[in-house]
Amino acid sequence: MNADFTLLIPEFILAGAGFLVLLVDLLLPREQEHRRNAFTSATAVLGLAVTGVVAATTQMNTGESFHDGLLFIDRYSLLFKVLFVGIGIAVVVMSVDYVAEKMSHPGEYYALIIFAVLGATLMAESGELLTAFISIELLSFSLYVLVGLSRGDARTAEASTKYILLGAISTAIMLYGISQLFGVMGTTRFTEMGGLLAAAGDWDMTLISGFVMVLAGLGFKLSMAPFHMWAPDVYEGAPTPITALIATLSKAAAIALLLRFLAEVGSGAVHEWRMPLAVLAAATMVIGSLSALPQTNIKRLLAYSSIAQIGFVLVGIVPNTVIGANAVLLHVIGYAFTNLAAFTVVIIIELKLGKETIADFAGLSKRAPVLAMIMTGALFSLAGLPIFAGFLTKFYLFTSAVDKSLEWLVVVAVATSVISLYYYIRIVREMYITETEDESKLPVPALLGLLAWVLFAGTIAVGIYPAPFVDATNAAVTVLTPWVAL
Amino acid sequence: MGIEEAWLIPTYGFIAFGVIALFGRYLPSQGKHLSIIAIVAAFVTFWPVLFDFVSKGVGEYHVPRVWFSAGDISVGSGMIIDPLTIVMLALVTLVASLVQIYSLGYMRHSHKGHIADDPRIGWYFAVHSLFTAAMLTLVLADNLLLLYLAWELVGLCSYFLIGFWWERKSAVNASKKAFITTRVGDVGLLIGILILVAETGTFDISDIIYAVVNGDVSEGKTTLAAFMIFLGAMGKSAQFPLHVWLPDAMEGPTPVSALIHAATMVTAGVFLVARLLPIYEMAESAQMFIAIIGIVTALMGATLALVVTDLKRMLAYSTMSHLGFMMLTLGAGGFTAAAFHLLMHGVSKAMLFLSAGSIMHAMNDETDMNKMGGLRHRMPITGAAFTIGALSLSGIAPLAAFWSKDEMLLAIQDRLSPVFVVLFLVAVVLSALYMSRATYLVFFGPLKVENRRVHESPALMSMPLVVLAVLSVFAGFIALPLGGGYEGIGRFLFYGEHGHDFEFQPLWTVVSIVLATGGFGFGIWLYKSKRTTVDNLRVRFEGVHRVLINRYYMDTAYQWIVDRVVLALGRSVALFDRTIVNDRGVNGAGLTVLGMGKRLRSHVTGLFADYGLAMGSGVVAIALYVWLRSV
Amino acid sequence: MILELAHFQILAAALFCLGLYGVLARRSAVMVLMAVELMLNAVNINLVAFSAFRDISIVTGQVIAIFVITVAAAEIGLALAVIMRLYRRRGTVNVDEIDWMKG
Repeated sequence: MNADFTLLIPEFILAGAGFLVLLVDLLLPREQEHRRNAFTSATAVLGLAVTGVVAATTQMNTGESFHDGLLFIDRYSLLFKVLFVGIGIAVVVMSVDYVAEKMSHPGEYYALIIFAVLGATLMAESGELLTAFISIELLSFSLYVLVGLSRGDARTAEASTKYILLGAISTAIMLYGISQLFGVMGTTRFTEMGGLLAAAGDWDMTLISGFVMVLAGLGFKLSMAPFHMWAPDVYEGAPTPITALIATLSKAAAIALLLRFLAEVGSGAVHEWRMPLAVLAAATMVIGSLSALPQTNIKRLLAYSSIAQIGFVLVGIVPNTVIGANAVLLHVIGYAFTNLAAFTVVIIIELKLGKETIADFAGLSKRAPVLAMIMTGALFSLAGLPIFAGFLTKFYLFTSAVDKSLEWLVVVAVATSVISLYYYIRIVREMYITETEDESKLPVPALLGLLAWVLFAGTIAVGIYPAPFVDATNAAVTVLTPWVAL
Repeated sequence: MGIEEAWLIPTYGFIAFGVIALFGRYLPSQGKHLSIIAIVAAFVTFWPVLFDFVSKGVGEYHVPRVWFSAGDISVGSGMIIDPLTIVMLALVTLVASLVQIYSLGYMRHSHKGHIADDPRIGWYFAVHSLFTAAMLTLVLADNLLLLYLAWELVGLCSYFLIGFWWERKSAVNASKKAFITTRVGDVGLLIGILILVAETGTFDISDIIYAVVNGDVSEGKTTLAAFMIFLGAMGKSAQFPLHVWLPDAMEGPTPVSALIHAATMVTAGVFLVARLLPIYEMAESAQMFIAIIGIVTALMGATLALVVTDLKRMLAYSTMSHLGFMMLTLGAGGFTAAAFHLLMHGVSKAMLFLSAGSIMHAMNDETDMNKMGGLRHRMPITGAAFTIGALSLSGIAPLAAFWSKDEMLLAIQDRLSPVFVVLFLVAVVLSALYMSRATYLVFFGPLKVENRRVHESPALMSMPLVVLAVLSVFAGFIALPLGGGYEGIGRFLFYGEHGHDFEFQPLWTVVSIVLATGGFGFGIWLYKSKRTTVDNLRVRFEGVHRVLINRYYMDTAYQWIVDRVVLALGRSVALFDRTIVNDRGVNGAGLTVLGMGKRLRSHVTGLFADYGLAMGSGVVAIALYVWLRSV
Repeated sequence: MILELAHFQILAAALFCLGLYGVLARRSAVMVLMAVELMLNAVNINLVAFSAFRDISIVTGQVIAIFVITVAAAEIGLALAVIMRLYRRRGTVNVDEIDWMKG
């Protein structure tokens, strides 16, 4: 019974940081909102950074499981831990100006972001169904509250309601699936389940329903079709930094969990679930891309674009190979940089212009040329054009799928990629070609501008010099059971 | 400095792009000179590479470098230096240098009384640099991923440059059309690449060729990949039916047309097929397909060039036709001939475009040939250059393109059925005909009154013309063994075991000379003395003429297909956006897809219960699907 | 009659489906939450039954059930807070009426 709690030191630091933020908020006088905002956000960033550094330095060579497989503290979870902490820091930095203008509880806000990161981290570490469930709930609850936190308009309340109600349903479905799986196999630990599943003959309905329902629950978090319909509304209604958080953190965490689950548990019976998942991937890509075409609200458009991107990621998961898994992880990293960069620009526009439709980007190339360039870079990366992360990662994903006679899926992927060009280029066109009457220079807040630059640089870095990232993903992927020997 | 340092050649351009794009605002003249420096540096760097190559002996050299590797896939960013690369490097660096120098003079417009640079000159040169860098990367690339990346980048730059003057709606539409049409082809290219990579496990071109030639890849997969890759080539090299973007691309500045749509980007497709020719030799049906598409394109381009009145469009169709020749030759396995013609055509056609630019510059952007005439009196240098180029591309000895045309003819008659030979010769006659027509209409005959003020271009523009004219006259001689160890183009640039010596087959050479000269002469005679005959011809063959004027109704056909499909789907669509209706002409295919997007929208009702229903039914459906599969 | 595993499975499934129906068909958000509770309790029945009938000494199922109860309670609390927020903003808790965002 390996209950080595020292393995969980980063998680403890993270939890502690969350509470520390709340404490700081409590101790500072209520009226000085500006100071509260500054201190709590600084504490949050510090806490996240310390977690990341501690994890990176102490856990590079760890490959252990806590409590015989409840949690896996290995290179795989380390990669995601660092990624999540990074996302958390980016979102906190993104929020500082936003919170000052639009929210009244900075302490809770930043604390919840930290707890969300904690939930996500635990998801990436989960090695067992109950742990997975609890970590999902930790992440979800934080997000439910965060979505509804602003003093915003009625859309925020609506988004929050839909999110929590649909989330509750998906939780219930997933739990039922967990119960079914437990019923058939008698255990909920991934490694044990993997062995049993490989030995099982034909799947009976209990097993099928269990598997499918667990997949449905994860699919909801992933916004995979047909469990995606919450995304556009929630993305649109939530405060924009939280939209960014949902788009990156929650998706990446779900991918981490799904990949580990399918690799550990499902590798032995790939033929059962490969085709259905491939069909879902195709549906997701098609629905995401097509629905994005007529959108006018930028957040909604990014929601559908996210959905389509998840479809691409699934293309890499479906083959269940080392290359596919590598491609998936690389894409997640690139996707995080890209989306965060895009959302940073959206936040700046929202704060300075107060609006969020595509038409509001008009003439941005003249008003804020640097922002326009960064946004263009992010959009080109999402579209998969070269020198940006998206080109490389998409190429990689598609390559992994061609291997396993999934050529039809690659054709669908490439076709939807071409279609998606339209709505990305449309925004670029607004920024550079459409004329506006108002040509005044747009002041870019220093912190947000710096963040945007850093994220933009990251997007290009992954696209041009992927070697260090690929080393990290390869180390992460070869930890999972079916691929250890490679 | 030698082969190992060849990677420098594209790098100058990338650096220039970065500096000009980011800091152009702070640099004098928006940094345009940086671009010139970069491309001339590239041209200069080419020579040591060439000398090193020659001294090491003609062959294939690899300079590998690993970009990143994961699992059992390793992706490189190294180079292949072989004769084909050398030829392309020479062409691209030379023509790009001349075009950029030319642009210094061309991109100056009358602005409120005085002449000044185009307001966005910095961006122009920045994209030019990026384009050249990407093109050079493409020809140097030793693996398909890098090649594809460069391919896409080249297409992106073309999009920017065609639509450079985006204040003009027609330019915006043209650039969109170009991008979309080539993108369609690119889908095929990507799939073809992925198939090859999946089958051979590597991205490296040489390894893939080796695997294919040794039979490691099944014939079916090879043929499929070959077809798919050719699809990409069809898009970039304006082969039928993906040629529709090329004439419209003339909306871009003329130096752009000279560089991108005559000498470099459009030849990328030809280059790709040539580079992968061993694969095509293994996939006979694909190769035959290439030959057929090639000759169809050649004839189509030639006939269309015969009737248009716009000078640049004529040159565009001529390019299309010549690209068809090159593809046809590759379809016949004529590696040497095709590459040779690529070089000769590139030189001559670029010059023709630059001449057209001179005329436009002098005549306030006029391109209608009917409004010109007798211009050789006022623009002697341009006139001489144009005439030389026209004669060259018509295949008149001993100018450059005559030699390459001869080689192509030999290759075709060697491998393909006489039908191809006959059609090829017909196209040769036609090309002589339209060239002479254009030459005569523009430069000979009486000078119109309104054109009396026309004057020759400044030195910056005419100097490149002269250089290219000289090349057009003498470059063809590289076909011959010139001594000093050089044994003729056939021994330098070959595919297979060993090259061939310069062949002189009197029969074919005489035939081609007769046809070319005859065609050219006939054209002059027709337009010079019997203007009325031309009009009569037009009336007599009105049907044919109308078909040609309407570009074989291809655009109309595409539109018709789209209309029918959209009408069928569009019945349940509620709204039509104004912009969408206006953009119909360009976004034809996009309309269909947009219609589907709108229909999908109506399913997302906003009611949470509907979302939940979708989720629930989804679960049931998936579970049933899984269950039924194992039943 | 002797109660077997199958009976409990059927009961759980039935309750789950009833709950799902309630979620989709009920108009008041509070009612929807009650239906969700029903679904979660159905899961609990399933879990406990599996655990009991397999090997009574392995209490995994029961443990999970307790966690589910706890998490469900937290979820309901949170959801009610969100619904109160909605009511204050929109004046209604009728889910059919909250469709401002669509498409």
